[in-house]
Amino acid sequence: MGGVCMKKLIMKNKFLLISIIMLLVMSIIDIHLSFQALENSGKQILSMLMIVPPIFVLIGLFDVWVPRETIIALMGEGSKTRGMFLAFFLGAFSAGPTLVAFPLAMLMLKKGAKYTNVIFFLMVWSSLKIPIVFYQITTLGIQFSLIINVTMLIVFVLSSLMVDRLFSKEEKASFVAQANEYSK
Amino acid sequence: MSIETYIIYGLAILLLVVSSIKDKNKTKKGLKKALKSFMKLMPVLIPLFLFVGILLTLITPSFISSILGENSGFLGYVIGMSIGSITFMSPFVAYPLGLELLENGAAYPQVAGLLVTLMSVGLVYFAMESKFFNKKAAIYRNVISFIGAILVVIVVWVVYV
Repeated sequence: MGGVCMKKLIMKNKFLLISIIMLLVMSIIDIHLSFQALENSGKQILSMLMIVPPIFVLIGLFDVWVPRETIIALMGEGSKTRGMFLAFFLGAFSAGPTLVAFPLAMLMLKKGAKYTNVIFFLMVWSSLKIPIVFYQITTLGIQFSLIINVTMLIVFVLSSLMVDRLFSKEEKASFVAQANEYSK
Repeated sequence: MSIETYIIYGLAILLLVVSSIKDKNKTKKGLKKALKSFMKLMPVLIPLFLFVGILLTLITPSFISSILGENSGFLGYVIGMSIGSITFMSPFVAYPLGLELLENGAAYPQVAGLLVTLMSVGLVYFAMESKFFNKKAAIYRNVISFIGAILVVIVVWVVYV
């Protein structure tokens, strides 16, 4: 029993443990490396904490104001192309790191959006955010950016449409159950 | 703070005001939910960002440009895409790095592979997604994005080389 508990604890905190081990090794090699790492981590955490609060306020308001029926109609099982378009716009006109998209994805599931649209939303958020695309065009040029974004968009659309074949009803239901649990 | 941060703060404040004029109780409930899911997410996010900070110390833009240069060939693709898949970088760091790599003689397809995997494939995303959905969902989305990256490399190769 004790072993199982221990293993669970380790698995639950694996990123913390890996980080501590890496910091220790880095300290042995060069203590300044560890200081630099902690400074970087601090900066990362701080910039995350700056962007996250308004997003959570929006998520909270979304949760209380938008009725489940609306999301089912717009992005649910019967929503087809319109649901995909909406998922695209939500993902593309967004701000913040991809990690913040997950709570929003959970809320969409809870309100009755289908998994195809939710996974498409996550993919668009990760790679095709409009402000980032503009920035990409100014740094890398329009042709290079166009190739990257159009190719990824096609891959994302096709792979989102394949979701219903690859994930069983039970699996999708378990995602919704987790979503309900998360935003109780 | 970037412009998008200001916009999102402005939007949140605006909607908060509208919401509390319309219904105080509902607004309170919404804020409570916001706080709750924020508190649930922090124990997951903070260790992840600690890890990201350490990774960014080891895998710096100058480290990447030292291995992805002229004549790095096929190995350059493998290394670029592996680095891109493990770590994650803000686009505001990644795209100027891409430009610098191109100026230093790295091939267009290599840079495309690095940039696409940096944005859409990552250990950090994987951890988050297996927590919120499951392992299969996490594997699926990361593998799909990796396949997308390979396709991008091929298209860029056809167009530029």
